[in-house]
Amino acid sequence: MTISQKDGKPVLSLKQVSKNFGGVVAAKNVDLDFFGGEIVGLIGPNGAGKSTLVNLITGIYSVDSGTITFKGKDITRLPTYQRARMGIARTFQHPRLLDRCSLFDNIMLGVDLARKTGRVLKQDIQSDMKALLRQCNMDGMALEGMISQLPYGQQKLIEIIRAILGEPDVLLLDEPAAGLNSSETRYIVSLMEIAVKQNISVLLIEHSMDLVMEVCDRLTVLNFGYQIANGSPSEIQENQAVIDAYLGSSRAC
Amino acid sequence: MMRTRSKFPFKAAAIMAALALYTMVPFGMSSYMQRVINVMMITFLCVLSVYVLLGMCGQNSFAQAGLWGVGAYITANLTMKLGMGSLPAFLLSTLGTALLAFLLGFFFFRLRQYYFTFASVGLMTILNGLFMNWEPVTGGAMGYKDIAVFSIFGFSANTEISKFFVILLVCIIAGLMMRLLSKSSLGRSFMAIRDDEMAANCMGVNSLLTKSIAFAISGALCGAAGSLYASLSGYLSYQSFTFQQSTMYMIMVMLGGTYSWTGSIIGTMIISLLQEFVRPLQNFMLLIYGVGIMAMMVFQPEGLLGGGKALYDYISKRRKAGSVAETGL
Repeated sequence: MTISQKDGKPVLSLKQVSKNFGGVVAAKNVDLDFFGGEIVGLIGPNGAGKSTLVNLITGIYSVDSGTITFKGKDITRLPTYQRARMGIARTFQHPRLLDRCSLFDNIMLGVDLARKTGRVLKQDIQSDMKALLRQCNMDGMALEGMISQLPYGQQKLIEIIRAILGEPDVLLLDEPAAGLNSSETRYIVSLMEIAVKQNISVLLIEHSMDLVMEVCDRLTVLNFGYQIANGSPSEIQENQAVIDAYLGSSRAC
Repeated sequence: MMRTRSKFPFKAAAIMAALALYTMVPFGMSSYMQRVINVMMITFLCVLSVYVLLGMCGQNSFAQAGLWGVGAYITANLTMKLGMGSLPAFLLSTLGTALLAFLLGFFFFRLRQYYFTFASVGLMTILNGLFMNWEPVTGGAMGYKDIAVFSIFGFSANTEISKFFVILLVCIIAGLMMRLLSKSSLGRSFMAIRDDEMAANCMGVNSLLTKSIAFAISGALCGAAGSLYASLSGYLSYQSFTFQQSTMYMIMVMLGGTYSWTGSIIGTMIISLLQEFVRPLQNFMLLIYGVGIMAMMVFQPEGLLGGGKALYDYISKRRKAGSVAETGL
């Protein structure tokens, strides 16, 4: 894939970001840079603050301190929808789609976003959509069908397709492969590859170490809100603090 | 588009046929029944306004009868005090009510979910109070009498049948706009808010603005209905624009189903005609509605149309079961 550290400016940058919920530390002085066209893995045990970090980046939670810079602009205080329009897309741990709408309407929500921001530069949305669906072996599906009729795995794939069609610069994937079978996981990987080709910076939160080690260019490890390690997959595998906090325990079971 | 389409537009043909049939309805009826039908169509516009808010955008408002009244009083004032023509008065009532709803929405939708509903109850109460007491503008408890009938280019809708066609035209335009809306990106952002507001925000949907627009569209429908009502009945009283009336709209939407705007047609027709035909049971009607709605929520929460669609899907699925579905892109 791409080289792990790139020259030039990061597209998204977190500086000393902290968030507490009452007495619980969800994020403490997190520093993280994202560059276009790379996949950053965010790992850590349950409750480490991974999803919280995504919620901070998308503005669903506000940060207690620290700054978030996106494409050179300080977005720390911007509302969620503005960040989305600027180019931060995300998916959720459990797919959050328009349950009462068709597959078509769900996908079009992504296209709407791209149109709203004037980001659709490409000639043909329909062919993009088709190509993405074909990538997941879903191009034979009736677009009129209700989204709620689809199996869980396909709903998760649709959520990612919707996000990519929004033409984002950053794509935050919150456990995309959780609960998916192996072929669906392969589709997730190919969608991530498409995103990387479009120079999108991908953040991957994932519990499956095999997947993380395979696709990520860089990893950062959270534990109780603290960033305990950064580095390439192989460096992280060797890191004693990480092994103690996470890998060791998960490998044992 | 990528949607699969059948060769012959059966659906469009069926709608046209139903519409043609419907235009014959008022002929041969007593003028009383013609009037019932006319009021029913005006009610339909208000019910549609609830559909836009509740069915599409997931927001519950009990102020719709109040907005309906706003449209009616604007028309009464414009035509009687300023001597304005029917059409400009109609357009200004529609736009004025929409604007009012938009501005109110912009404040109210800072409140979420139930709190907006509570605020709408308050709005309804305030509006009703204004209609009753703001004498210079609303005529107070006496209301307005002798409002000019709808007339345009020398044509004057002074019979029930001519009123029927004027209102029907507005209903058809409203219906077409609903259809456009439900396929537009604005409609999709309404539905996104309805189904999952947080996910909608993450897809770049501005909740406050979008909900305010939904409220404005519903205000426009109510304003149009109010304007038509003023020039149809020629008489306005604050007693028409009540909280209970708003509740009736809600019941009609729920009965028809929030699945599609066409459910509003069914809901309006059933309740409006029921009210006429079972007049002797008038005192028990509220009880019947109450029990009916409870039963509905338990057995058929998607409304009559939702049930119809489920049945249709079931039948078409069985028909297709033999051959592999060949629906492509």
